Amino acid sequence: MRVLVIGCGRLGSELAYRLYKSGHEVSIIDIRKDAFFKLPADFIGVTHEGDAMGREVLNRAGIEHVDALVVVTGSDVLNAVVGYIGREIYHIPNVVVRNYDPQYRYLFEAFDLQVVSALSWGAQRMEEMITQGNIRTVFSAGNGEVEVYEIIVPQSCHGVSVKSILNANCIPVAITRSGRSLLPNQDMLLEPGDVIMVSATMEGARLFSNRLCEMTQEA
Amino acid sequence: MYVVIISAGRTGAHLANLLLSQDHEVRIIENRKDVLGWIHKELPSEVVIEGDPLDPTVLEQAGIRQADVVAAVTTSDEMNLVQCYLARTTYGVTRTIARVNNPRNAWLFNDTFRVDVAVNQASIMATLIEEEMNTGDMITLLKLRHGKYLLVEETVQAGAKGVGLAIKDTHLPEHCVIAAISRKGEIIVPRGLTVFEEGDQVMAVTDAEGARVLCELFEVPEIPAARTNGNGHS
Repeated sequence: MRVLVIGCGRLGSELAYRLYKSGHEVSIIDIRKDAFFKLPADFIGVTHEGDAMGREVLNRAGIEHVDALVVVTGSDVLNAVVGYIGREIYHIPNVVVRNYDPQYRYLFEAFDLQVVSALSWGAQRMEEMITQGNIRTVFSAGNGEVEVYEIIVPQSCHGVSVKSILNANCIPVAITRSGRSLLPNQDMLLEPGDVIMVSATMEGARLFSNRLCEMTQEA
Repeated sequence: MYVVIISAGRTGAHLANLLLSQDHEVRIIENRKDVLGWIHKELPSEVVIEGDPLDPTVLEQAGIRQADVVAAVTTSDEMNLVQCYLARTTYGVTRTIARVNNPRNAWLFNDTFRVDVAVNQASIMATLIEEEMNTGDMITLLKLRHGKYLLVEETVQAGAKGVGLAIKDTHLPEHCVIAAISRKGEIIVPRGLTVFEEGDQVMAVTDAEGARVLCELFEVPEIPAARTNGNGHS
């Protein structure tokens, strides 16, 4: 796959290097020449110094022929503009942009761009790790608005039904019992050692986690 | 008209003053502390909205939903593009105007980002300077269609080709029309048979090519200095 990366900061250089390592053809643009020193010595790809809004710079970097565009500069406004240029003017099928400051997240929704908010996502994961110690995230959908969590059913939940520990923002996905997974229904009774996976919003996960604590205390 | 101006730098502040003097309703959004320091002295306080122009609540406070025009005149081209796009797609503003800071970014200032009018200061300056260099004594009174057509005034010099010539015999190009002649304080409505005289002030609606032809007709070419001193190289 041919990928154009705009912005060679910490995220851009890391991403460019990963893409190169997995066998993709990478070109990368940054307005500052010294930004390219962040790329590891064994990186092979084309670097272009210039303003990402300039047509000549974009053309020189091969924007007309890439399969994917990633825009990861430190400016949300610039990321939105360049991502939109990629999709609307060059019709690049896969465009992903970075949201730097969470307060400007709405910009990317206005431009209808696929966005990654590294900062919000990181903060949310850390919050979860601190507040929901007993459950573990196994998958993040979108920017982490919905996640899939996994827990091992404790002794205290023996014989209780699936629905009695869940809530409206937390729905069961799978139960693994004795190495075999099942599609759960709400009335199924839990056994200690079952691994239950749930899909939940952050609020749903918090209520779920609290419910498990209550049951442990009651027992 | 209700006009929201994004950024109160020199350009924005000047524009706001101009629009206010023509009785338009104006709001100007600014968040730089140093600019706010002096802008409050120049503009009425209800006109200045303090805040980040990317903050939707600030835009709403400036009344962007009822704006007829949004003028994005910040010194950042990407910001001006985003403001025009949001103004149209999110707030339904019918007319958007953006300042182009770097002429290399001018290719983006069109319907892609919902920019109705791009004001490219570098190119305007260059065009003005070029005109000043080319047209000698011709004065541009008015620009029409973004400068594609001009209303110009030119004085007929003694000894010029056009002196004694009737309009019908001048073979003016298609996009050049003589609009009026001012002679000894009287206005003459030109006809085909009207003959130009020395000292006539001729007003014409024309494009750039026509302006060049008018210069040839009414001005006596200056003899370049290099030729008169005989060295031919300078």
